[in-house]
Amino acid sequence: MPPDIPIKPLRRSIWERFSVVWLIPIAALLIALGVAWQSYSQRGPMIVISFESASGIKAGETVLRYRDVTVGLVEKVGFSPSLERVDVSVRLDKDIADYIDNDAVFWVVRPEVTTQGVTGLDTVLSGVFIEGLWNTTPDGLVPYHNGLSDGPLLRVGESGLLITMRAQGTAVLAEASPILFKGIKVGRMGKPKLSDDGTDALSEAIIYAPHDKLISSATRFWDTSGFSFKIGAGGAELDFSSLASLVSGGVTFETIVSGGRPVADGTVFDVYGDEANARASVFSDSSGPTLEVTVVFDENVSGLSAGSPVEYGGVRIGEVTSLRGLIDEAQYGDSRVRLLASLEIRPERLGLEEGTTPDEALAFLTARVADGLRARLATASILTGGLKVEMLQVADATPAALERKGDGLPVIPSTDSNVQDVAATAQGVLKRVNDLPIEEVMGSVIRFLDNASALIGSDDMKNAPGQMVGLISEARGVIGSEAVQKLPENLNNLLASLQGTTDDLRKVLGQIEQADTVNRLLAAVDAAGAAASQVGTSVQGVPALITQIEALAAKANALAVEDLVARSSGLVASASKLLSSDSTQALPVTLHAAIADLQSVIAEVKTQDGVTRLLKSIDAAGAAATEAGKSIKGVPDLVAQLSAVAKKANELPLDQLIAELTRITGTANTLLASDGAKDLPATLTAALAEVQAVLSDLRKGGTIENANKTLASAATAADAVARATTDLPKLVARVDNLISQATTTLAGFDSKSEVNRDLRSALRELQKAAEAVSSLSRALERKPNSIILGR
Amino acid sequence: MQLVDMEIAGQSEHLMSAREAGLVTCRRCARVWPMARATCGRCGARLVSRDSKSLQRVWGWWLAGLMCYIPANIYPMLQTRTLLSTSESTIVGGAIELIHHGSVGIAIVILVASVLIPVGKFMAIAFLALSVKHHRIVPPRHRHGLYEIVEYVGRWSMIDVFVVAILSSLVHLNVVASINPGPASLTFALSVIFTMLSAQAIDSRLIWDENRTPKDDVA
Repeated sequence: MPPDIPIKPLRRSIWERFSVVWLIPIAALLIALGVAWQSYSQRGPMIVISFESASGIKAGETVLRYRDVTVGLVEKVGFSPSLERVDVSVRLDKDIADYIDNDAVFWVVRPEVTTQGVTGLDTVLSGVFIEGLWNTTPDGLVPYHNGLSDGPLLRVGESGLLITMRAQGTAVLAEASPILFKGIKVGRMGKPKLSDDGTDALSEAIIYAPHDKLISSATRFWDTSGFSFKIGAGGAELDFSSLASLVSGGVTFETIVSGGRPVADGTVFDVYGDEANARASVFSDSSGPTLEVTVVFDENVSGLSAGSPVEYGGVRIGEVTSLRGLIDEAQYGDSRVRLLASLEIRPERLGLEEGTTPDEALAFLTARVADGLRARLATASILTGGLKVEMLQVADATPAALERKGDGLPVIPSTDSNVQDVAATAQGVLKRVNDLPIEEVMGSVIRFLDNASALIGSDDMKNAPGQMVGLISEARGVIGSEAVQKLPENLNNLLASLQGTTDDLRKVLGQIEQADTVNRLLAAVDAAGAAASQVGTSVQGVPALITQIEALAAKANALAVEDLVARSSGLVASASKLLSSDSTQALPVTLHAAIADLQSVIAEVKTQDGVTRLLKSIDAAGAAATEAGKSIKGVPDLVAQLSAVAKKANELPLDQLIAELTRITGTANTLLASDGAKDLPATLTAALAEVQAVLSDLRKGGTIENANKTLASAATAADAVARATTDLPKLVARVDNLISQATTTLAGFDSKSEVNRDLRSALRELQKAAEAVSSLSRALERKPNSIILGR
Repeated sequence: MQLVDMEIAGQSEHLMSAREAGLVTCRRCARVWPMARATCGRCGARLVSRDSKSLQRVWGWWLAGLMCYIPANIYPMLQTRTLLSTSESTIVGGAIELIHHGSVGIAIVILVASVLIPVGKFMAIAFLALSVKHHRIVPPRHRHGLYEIVEYVGRWSMIDVFVVAILSSLVHLNVVASINPGPASLTFALSVIFTMLSAQAIDSRLIWDENRTPKDDVA
């Protein structure tokens, strides 16, 4: 046992008393705290997204992506308090938290196989993920969101015009079907759904920028899916726009009329079944305010119905909304039933500006009615006998105004309707045509033409033109001769002279009138009395005068007057034919001179006093008579001279002219007398007679009756068409057969065809492959070591 | 001589320790020296009858190990990325999943290696450290046996880490499947290391010091 060694407790420093090992847990603690602090400070906020179902969403695994970048992780999948929805809690990245504001939308991306292709294929391997979309302005975090069942149409990084499609007629809205423009995909349809009231099928659609500029309010969409099959005069026609759209559906559009306004997001467009409907819709757009008016028609004709068009200047401006009978004895004075039609008019169709209110349109109509605008019934369809209401300007319309009646609707005045009983009229026309003696007419025409050709071919006819030309040239020579040319001028002169003479006479008479008529008459009577006394004194000489005159007359009588007269008449007859001869030309001049002399004589008479001059004249006459009596002996010489003149005149080459004329006339006569010419009128007459007969037939029948008969024939024709249409069912049956065959073919394409089978088997293979990969991955997931262990 | 005594003493009810005999053993070369001697005359090592800081070191390592053990259980041990999905599994979660898939044996191995042994080690070390002061409960013999077991088992606690290391290096099929160690593997390895150090820090001679007053202990 060693000696007890005194052990002095050492005073140790704190470093010696405590082990350095304590640094390790302290460091670990610091690190842990640091990590905890860091992760806490880095941790983003939590948001809750509520989904209908959480298919494929796994807590801690499913991520939230924005532009394909992971920005959050699902931490918890739970239920809403009422278990109606699934609340998915997502831990967000801190950086983007502020952007998750009210406009943020979330949806689950799942693999999807559509006719348009496969989307979300990456999720097959990675599992579903939540895709988020929000704008680029941070407006603060909103912690609760409703998740969408489908992704929004406008995906990340896309811009465009969001519109709403409404199916019309046979159009079918197919989800995700392309919107094509001239074969280029410019947009996409969204998921179709029913409108709130269940009357329309609606679908969101997007037109990607920059194609959204193509869309205006005048744009019309139509369905290009499927195919159309037509049999018509042009043969059979099978039409489909593209194989893709045949399978998957598609919508295309066209801006049919100009002047559309740009549209905003959310505008509703109709999708029509085919292009024709779409184009027609431009003129039957059902939007905009309408103007209600009524029309009372005197006729109560069937054929007008609600929905019948209302046209103005050929443009459809509205439609008939309702019809009812109207008995208004107070207004019309009888108790006949009249037709009261209510019309719905679209103001913009009247050519008024866009946005015209119904009141403005009514003012417009009122003005037009004052100018003669009237409504009438008109045949809309010949075949169906449907009627339409036609607005037209009646030139001589009885004045009327647009008035408001008891029920407050303005009444447009009506005029006589333009309804044809087309069937009956057409029948008559066709019957008439049927009855025409076409064969006979043809025969007559043929005969006529034969005769005509014979006539024209005859020698006489051939010569006729030459002779005619000669005749005409000769006639022209005569007419063109100087004398004839001057004749009118001379006649003019003559007439002028005569006129002058007449004027002078008138002046004389005027002077006579101007003179103090009564006094002058009295004076004249006095003078006459004086004269009478003078006459009385001189009356003794009168018998001598008379005897002288008598002697003169006797002498004159003794003259060869008859011969003279005969010759004179011959001369006159010749002269009458000789107006153009030189002597004739001189005649007016001579006459003129004579008249001038006469004029001077009268002028002298004018200057002298009437009665004395008369007396003197009478004396002079007496003297003249005596002189005449004396000079009458020279008359035979005169007559002889005249005879000579006449003889000379006779000797003139008139004979030749006349002979020539006679010859021409003879030739013409011969021509006209020729058989051909004779036949010509006969043939013509016969033809005309037949034409006349036709016309007379027509006249006899009476136009309306004939037309009626014709239309009756048309009716027979229509009957024939009707009989033909009885065959139509067979045709339709055949078409049916064809279509059913087509359907079978398509059905075969649907279920049996090899393509489909291949496609299906391919898809099955794909499915199997996916299943295999899936099971492999699942196995790996469960037993990672199975790769090593080989199990 | 001493060794023989000790072996014999092991079977007796009480035996005298070197300290009671006023001796001190060199822990490097096992030469026994008188208590007063500061350094070993043979190998030059420092001679300490009892390591006064032993318990501090034990508790320090123990605490560090425990701190590392918490994230080792919280964070995923293994990241399995396959073609279709990425899955991360913690130690216990993975074991439970294995049980669900029917691989109970593997689950038990993992649970034993990763949970039972580490937790047992923590408890054993804590017990040993505490029993130095309150040693009446269990005889020193049994406690020493426990210490030996803890020392021995400690190295095998790394089995999880080894599995992860091997898997990550082997299963590296790029896209189809790959396994990466998760953050827990690091902390688990640290925890194992710290507990091993903690176990090693126990001065097993303290087990044998009975009837020791706290004052003596400090001395």
